[in-house]
Amino acid sequence: MNPQLVTTTEAVDPVFMLIFGISLVMLVGITTVMIYFIVKYHHSKHPRPTSQVRYNVPLEIIWTVLPTLIVLGMFYYGWAGYLALRNVPEDALTVKTTGRMWSWTFEYENGKISDKLYVPVGRPIKVTLYSEDVLHSFFVPAFRVKRDLVPGQPQYAWFVAPEEGSYDIFCAEYCGRGHSDMITTVEAVPPEEFQDWLAEKPAAGKQAQCEQLFQKHGCLGCHSLDGSQKVGPTFQGLWGKEVRVTSDGAERTVTADADYIRRSIIDPNAEIVKGFSATMPSFEGRIPEDELETMIDCFKPEAEDGGQAAGAQGEELFLKEGCIGCHSRDGTEKTGPTFKGLYGKEVTIMRDGEEMTVTADEDYLERSIEDPQAEIVKGYPSIMPDVDLTQEQIDALVDYIKTLK
Amino acid sequence: MTQAANPTGNDRGFLEGGKYPGLFGWIFSTDHKRIGLLYMYAIITAFIVGACLGLLIRLELIAPGETLMGAQTYNAVFTLHGVIMIFLFIIPGIPAAFGNIFLPLHIGAQDVAFPRLNLLSWWLYIIGAAMALASLFGGGGAPDTGWTFYVPFSLETSTNVSLAAFGVFTLGFSSILTGLNFIVTVHRLRAPGMTWRRLSLFVWALYSTNWVQVLATPILGITVALIVLERIFGAGLFDPTMGGDPIMYQHLFWIYSHPAVYIMVLPAMGVVSEIIPVFSRKPMFGYVAVAVSSLSIAAFGSLVWGHHMFTSGMSDTAILVFSFLTFIVAIPSAIKVFNWVATLYKGSISLAPPMLYALSFIILFSIGGLTGLVLGSAATDIHVHDTYFVVGHFHYVMFGGTGFAFFGAMHYWFPKIYGRMYNMRVATIAWAFLFVGFNILYFSMKLVGLRGMPRRYYDYVPEYTTLNVVATVGSWVMAIGLITMFVNIFVGMRRGAPAGDNPWKSATLEWTLSSPPPAENFEKEPVVTHGPYDYQEAGLL
Repeated sequence: MNPQLVTTTEAVDPVFMLIFGISLVMLVGITTVMIYFIVKYHHSKHPRPTSQVRYNVPLEIIWTVLPTLIVLGMFYYGWAGYLALRNVPEDALTVKTTGRMWSWTFEYENGKISDKLYVPVGRPIKVTLYSEDVLHSFFVPAFRVKRDLVPGQPQYAWFVAPEEGSYDIFCAEYCGRGHSDMITTVEAVPPEEFQDWLAEKPAAGKQAQCEQLFQKHGCLGCHSLDGSQKVGPTFQGLWGKEVRVTSDGAERTVTADADYIRRSIIDPNAEIVKGFSATMPSFEGRIPEDELETMIDCFKPEAEDGGQAAGAQGEELFLKEGCIGCHSRDGTEKTGPTFKGLYGKEVTIMRDGEEMTVTADEDYLERSIEDPQAEIVKGYPSIMPDVDLTQEQIDALVDYIKTLK
Repeated sequence: MTQAANPTGNDRGFLEGGKYPGLFGWIFSTDHKRIGLLYMYAIITAFIVGACLGLLIRLELIAPGETLMGAQTYNAVFTLHGVIMIFLFIIPGIPAAFGNIFLPLHIGAQDVAFPRLNLLSWWLYIIGAAMALASLFGGGGAPDTGWTFYVPFSLETSTNVSLAAFGVFTLGFSSILTGLNFIVTVHRLRAPGMTWRRLSLFVWALYSTNWVQVLATPILGITVALIVLERIFGAGLFDPTMGGDPIMYQHLFWIYSHPAVYIMVLPAMGVVSEIIPVFSRKPMFGYVAVAVSSLSIAAFGSLVWGHHMFTSGMSDTAILVFSFLTFIVAIPSAIKVFNWVATLYKGSISLAPPMLYALSFIILFSIGGLTGLVLGSAATDIHVHDTYFVVGHFHYVMFGGTGFAFFGAMHYWFPKIYGRMYNMRVATIAWAFLFVGFNILYFSMKLVGLRGMPRRYYDYVPEYTTLNVVATVGSWVMAIGLITMFVNIFVGMRRGAPAGDNPWKSATLEWTLSSPPPAENFEKEPVVTHGPYDYQEAGLL
């Protein structure tokens, strides 16, 4: 630790003491004199005024000049303390801090992302402040620092944590419904522990990757992963659920599929889930397309896509075996029927020259891959070739089709 | 009216008769006293609504988490509390109610300079208030921006901000027209012998206020009009994604809204300068210093708006200048306090209810003002800005200052307006509850703010619970005081004992008239021969 370093707290607190001290003396002085006069000159003891004095020039001068000197002194110390808050020590560690309705993200120089501000004890930290939407304010009471996050105008602040511990970070500029939930912490840890933490790679696996992404874009400020109620609907069990929404003033029910989730991120206020309000900002252009796709993928339950591996295998087969040539994933009309929303749908088919309706269940999907000519969907030509796949591969492909809601 | 229906035995003065019968005789009256009373009833109604909302806020904050209402409702409630208390109660408060009634009487005039314009001001006030209320029910729901309408949030929220902003715009015109009217009145309608040195300090304070109203309020009008333009047409003035600047909005907003603080508190200082000499039986000490300090508060107070923006991202140079000017404006306020206390010296002091309110004004305003020094100092403001410390601070100066002065004025001029007297003992008890409850409530806020609790927080971390509970209990004590006070005033209005024409033996001109004053004020133009606090010369000692 650098013994010369003055912390922000040490720069500000003496100014508090000075101003509060003088104020207290003045307040006690004024009140005492007032009460003394009231008691001494109360009309019960002092029935007639004994003076009709109107002014006293020396007194007026004294009580003009004296307060002037006092406040000028306060001004000077206040300014000096403020300069300490603005002058960032040279060896400061920079952390890019982003605020949005209603969460914080901290990004370190090596690209590591966190929703808590991990810092090494004793090292000055410079936070560069960015807002993605409205005004916010980065406030750590323990370190006496506060600075607004202004959209379009990067700001900064600095502090140093002198001791290990967890210190509250509040948003101090009103930003709507979730303002008082926009809370996180500074986690001050020993420097070695910090280095280990910083070097730690984000955990592998789909779940960790998803959480990382949700954190990065601040989804978890308003949406929980565990079903608990926050400002927005929970993400738990969302996939495939029938959701009651209001759009253009009319209520309707939609299925929470990939398309719905995409719409909800890009144009959140077009469809508002019943019981919630239109407070979510649009993320259009704020999330790169690949991250957006991964995020949407995150909603698919493990069981349904057969785990990450099976899902990936199914998709690989879908692309490699050429299914994609005739069947779309997104509802587009191609030579064959689209896979989007196929699973569970009623399909009209021709079998043995007879028209009938069947449900597209696992069995049907399997039959259609193994023996595509046996049942032909009405309105489509009978041109699909036989494909040579193992049972395992067929299962993976069926599982994959099931996810294409 | 018969004697039986008129137990005071006095003429009912301006309260009786009128050009039109019944209610129309009031809402279309151009008599400054009737307009003043209309304002007073409307303002007190607004205050009661605002106070109930304040109690709801405190109740919600008695424990962390949801207690009573959801976050969205809470945000609408504190927005409404702020808009009502600021635009409907404390800005018009003393000038529009007591200023209207007593400014012409204090200078010996028949009415204000433009009586019909005065009536228009009241109507604009009512229309503006109606628009602010209507914004609760239409469109996207009650506004949730806070009274400051900060961009870009106020541009993005789907709530009914435009209508509320337009209501504020209309209220602004009411304020500008009243200010203009009073300035002309003071310049043109003073009675013979009413020199500038013989103006009451209440009139001096109003006169200083009126200049701020006329010069600063148009900027508020422009600012909220720009918000409406921005919301409806996407003008892009403040929206950074369209090349606008959110910090510019804050400058525009505070160029009015900080001077507005002095629009609120200067008339209150005027009231205190009236009450203290009367109940000390001594001329106001340092009359010239107090009058000049009103003018310099109005002048310097117009140049300190930036101290609301030390954390906003404004340049450090601007912070240096605004911090300096903020400290300068503290000096005239201190001068006033010293002169009030000096007036008590060797007087003969009676602690009637108006005096209790005036003396508590001095203490509460001093606490508010001294804690304001921490907010003017750049280093310390960074920590307490936008915390409950600020909420505590401005309630001390606005409610403890202007609010208590409003109640003081109400108790002081009550016998003149109605010709009756309220129950003094009940009034004293009500004051005690108010004073004690007030300090419990707002001092706890200062402490919790100093510990870091941000303002406008619907929910808070558990370590702030105790102080929040104490504050909420304080709000109940204060509510008891308020209810007692208003009931006592109401009963006094209906059944109070006759008060006589000059129960406090005051030397300003309104007390030379009968109570209530006659509709046409002075029978013949008075000739003024002594100052407003010359009790000896007026033969009142």
